[in-house]
Amino acid sequence: MGDPAGLARRAQEIVGAEHVRTGPAAAPFAVDGLTPGVVAAPGSEEEVSRLLAAAHGLEAAVAPWGGGTKTGLGNPPRRLDLVLSLARLNRVVDYEPGDMTATLQAGMTLAAAQAHLTQKGQFIALDPAAAARATVGGILAANASGPRRLRYGTARDLVIAVRIVHADGAVTKGGAKVVKNVTGYDMNKLYVGSLGTLGILTEVTFRLYPLPATEETHLSAFPTLEAAGAAAAEILGSPLVPHAVELLSAAAAAAAARAANVPWSPGQVGLAVMIGSVPDAVHAQLADVARFCRGAGSAADHHLRGAAHSACWEAVREFPGPDAPRSLILKGSVPLTRVPELMSRGEGLAGQRHLACQAVAEVGPGIVRFSVDAGGVPPERAADYVETVRGVAAELGGHLVVLEAPLDVKRRVDVWGPVGKALRLMQGLKAQFDPKGILNPGRFVGGI
Amino acid sequence: MERQRKAQLAAALMAVVGQDGVITDEDELRVYECDGLTIFKARPELVVLPRTREQVEAVARLCHRERVPFVARGAGTGLSGGALALEGGVMVGLNRMSHILEVDVPNQRAVVQPGMVNVWLSNKIAGDNFYYAPDPASQTACSIGGNIAENSGGVHTPKYGVTVNHVVGLEVVLPDGEVVEFGGKALDPPGYDLTGVFVGSEGTFGICTKITVRILRKPEAVKTLMGVFESIEDASNTVSDIVAAGILPACVEMMDTLSIQAVEKGVRAGYPTDAGSVLLVELDGPRAEVEALVDPVSRLMKQNKVREIRIAKDDAERLLLWKGRKAAFAAMGQISPDYYVQDAVIPRTKLPQILREIGAFSDEYKLRVANVFHAGDGNLHPLILYDGRNEGELHKAEEMGAKIMRRCIELGGSITGEHGVGREKRDYMPLMYTPADLEAMLKVKRVFNPDGLLNPGKIFPTTKGCVEAGAVGRDGLRYRPHRLEVMGLAQRF
Repeated sequence: MGDPAGLARRAQEIVGAEHVRTGPAAAPFAVDGLTPGVVAAPGSEEEVSRLLAAAHGLEAAVAPWGGGTKTGLGNPPRRLDLVLSLARLNRVVDYEPGDMTATLQAGMTLAAAQAHLTQKGQFIALDPAAAARATVGGILAANASGPRRLRYGTARDLVIAVRIVHADGAVTKGGAKVVKNVTGYDMNKLYVGSLGTLGILTEVTFRLYPLPATEETHLSAFPTLEAAGAAAAEILGSPLVPHAVELLSAAAAAAAARAANVPWSPGQVGLAVMIGSVPDAVHAQLADVARFCRGAGSAADHHLRGAAHSACWEAVREFPGPDAPRSLILKGSVPLTRVPELMSRGEGLAGQRHLACQAVAEVGPGIVRFSVDAGGVPPERAADYVETVRGVAAELGGHLVVLEAPLDVKRRVDVWGPVGKALRLMQGLKAQFDPKGILNPGRFVGGI
Repeated sequence: MERQRKAQLAAALMAVVGQDGVITDEDELRVYECDGLTIFKARPELVVLPRTREQVEAVARLCHRERVPFVARGAGTGLSGGALALEGGVMVGLNRMSHILEVDVPNQRAVVQPGMVNVWLSNKIAGDNFYYAPDPASQTACSIGGNIAENSGGVHTPKYGVTVNHVVGLEVVLPDGEVVEFGGKALDPPGYDLTGVFVGSEGTFGICTKITVRILRKPEAVKTLMGVFESIEDASNTVSDIVAAGILPACVEMMDTLSIQAVEKGVRAGYPTDAGSVLLVELDGPRAEVEALVDPVSRLMKQNKVREIRIAKDDAERLLLWKGRKAAFAAMGQISPDYYVQDAVIPRTKLPQILREIGAFSDEYKLRVANVFHAGDGNLHPLILYDGRNEGELHKAEEMGAKIMRRCIELGGSITGEHGVGREKRDYMPLMYTPADLEAMLKVKRVFNPDGLLNPGKIFPTTKGCVEAGAVGRDGLRYRPHRLEVMGLAQRF
């Protein structure tokens, strides 16, 4: 794009000068070191549409921006001219408690949405990190989730309708505001996790869940990951219905215990099990969980409720936490029985490379998150670590994605890893939806 | 297709699947001319019955090279004319690919072939106390490949979701014969969620040859409550109250008087035939939870003037309560020569309103309507009763169905909740979607099925813009104004 001044002028005409930043004011919106020439915050779907149409005409590269919590995700963009902030699209469009559905503008933060829905005893069953800043549109685009996905699934299970603005400014909807619908293709699935490469979401309709009457937690300390993993396998194979089952490496477990204000012996790994239901059923299930943990050799058992329960899960959800050196964060996915092995081998490989590493795992879904302190480490070594752990994940029947990494590491690895022969279809979809390649160019799989 | 070309094609297909894998006899082909919705018929010119993925690949390559339309078919239980060979050509019957390839209980996954009958998987893993959750009413006959195509639901969707929520990986033969894999046992594969997009694509994206699904631990306890109500409003208000109380049942099913009477003439499930409505509520989960919720649900039924509550004491009683619901469609034969079932969805709170309106349509058209519905998710199944021997009655039924669909859309709903668009509802798509919405869907179709050879004529409205020139529409169909279009009840773009 050769006309940044033209783009800024058009943006000012469309959204008003007070909602446009240029020059140094745009610096906080850099993505992987690329600062956009223009940052614009439209106030309506129509303005989003006009802004995108203008960018399309100028072939300006656009990155949609929600709360800015996932800007580390993706390969470095090939180019970036316009950051389109959804911050002003932050209202509840439609909420009918009797239907258990809510339609929200994409720029609304998850915390604001939950505060609204909680009044009627309902909630969006997604608990990713940084709810106070993360927007519902951004959560969908990044397919972010948290520990409770074991019980409720992810965005693909919870989103029933969207409105989206396409690269040329065309506005379409997918789905309907009903919880069951097979009319035409399920376009919602295509947009969830597409990282803004196919269009910019402006509205999201969720199916909601009732808030559980009670949620409490059992936190056990184990001498080894294998023992904790065995307890997790017993629990997941039983008729218990835990809302979350999280395996915590020693450092992560100590942090969770500290947050919950319970004593913790250094070096012990943790298993946290969340149960939600009516109080009688919570207590009956927690007793069974405690029995499984003791049977697998737990060294200490804690029953967390109220503030301690909340604080424990906040620590897990926000892993590795705001104070941790969070330079390299990886997400491995494997069949659930392979979780302890991926976790221990990932930690071992880090140790061999003198990298400080901690990990947490959602055992049921088979997701392991590694946080590695790559500060002061040669980028080659960090990149080698990523590829090696990715190889282990593949060997165990899964795959591995880099969620965050320093730019000099990103330049050495493909953050997404291989996607196989399906890449041809994905590239075809990108070409159909964004033939000029203006939406987040280069950040998604295979250079999309 | 010319006789000689058909013979050549048959020979080429026999070279792939063997002599006994190709059907050319007109009488045998008649079996394949319709699915469960018998008002639409289109006979394929050939049926091929592959046994392996390699054979499916070879069939697809052949059809692609010869420019022959082809369509996959599972068990033929679909209810939207989705597996019809509208342009003739080849039908790929997947019944011989019916194996369970792998059961991996510790990882809570199973890998199956498309022709496997839905309930076989649950039967196979019952001994491990596991099951496959999506349970369409036809689960003893329908194939899982067909479930993938239609994104089938079932009675347990309020708590457990539909097919797509349980499919984690697919192996697919694309219309040009190329094989691709999406997902697998591990979750969150990088890239676009092609598994999610493929499920519900009604056989227009490819033919899946291997399916990886989640399997779930059976709940520790199940309790089924049946409430007998004087009116459908009372039953409906009970459902609203259950929702407001924060209770999430596994299923919430409702039937009206006419459905009850049909069922009692048929299977004798013991429903009182003078009742205004029967409401079935099933709770499942940990025993302590289920037991704690039975009383609140009963209390909410009583608050809404329930006449009688029956709580199944054991599995046998539970199955009896369900028997009537499961047999409801089939039982219509007891009270009417023919019926036309609808599948629209409305936001659940609009239930009393739409039922009143359906009653008014029924009076207007002088056609009886039996209502059976998934009250937990707002999915209606009005069964419009008619007699096909009476001139014009089917048309009246269709017309009334169209009016119901239109009202459902106006109330914020959808034209189909689990049966699919297929042939039947393609011209109603513009009721719900703008031309731009449909164009976005067509973009996806063009990527998977660029030549439109696989399952042509489905989902998308036939194209009006080409009429004047007499051209063939995008999906290869000539435009003919439909009666409902002339009446202004449906439109095309």
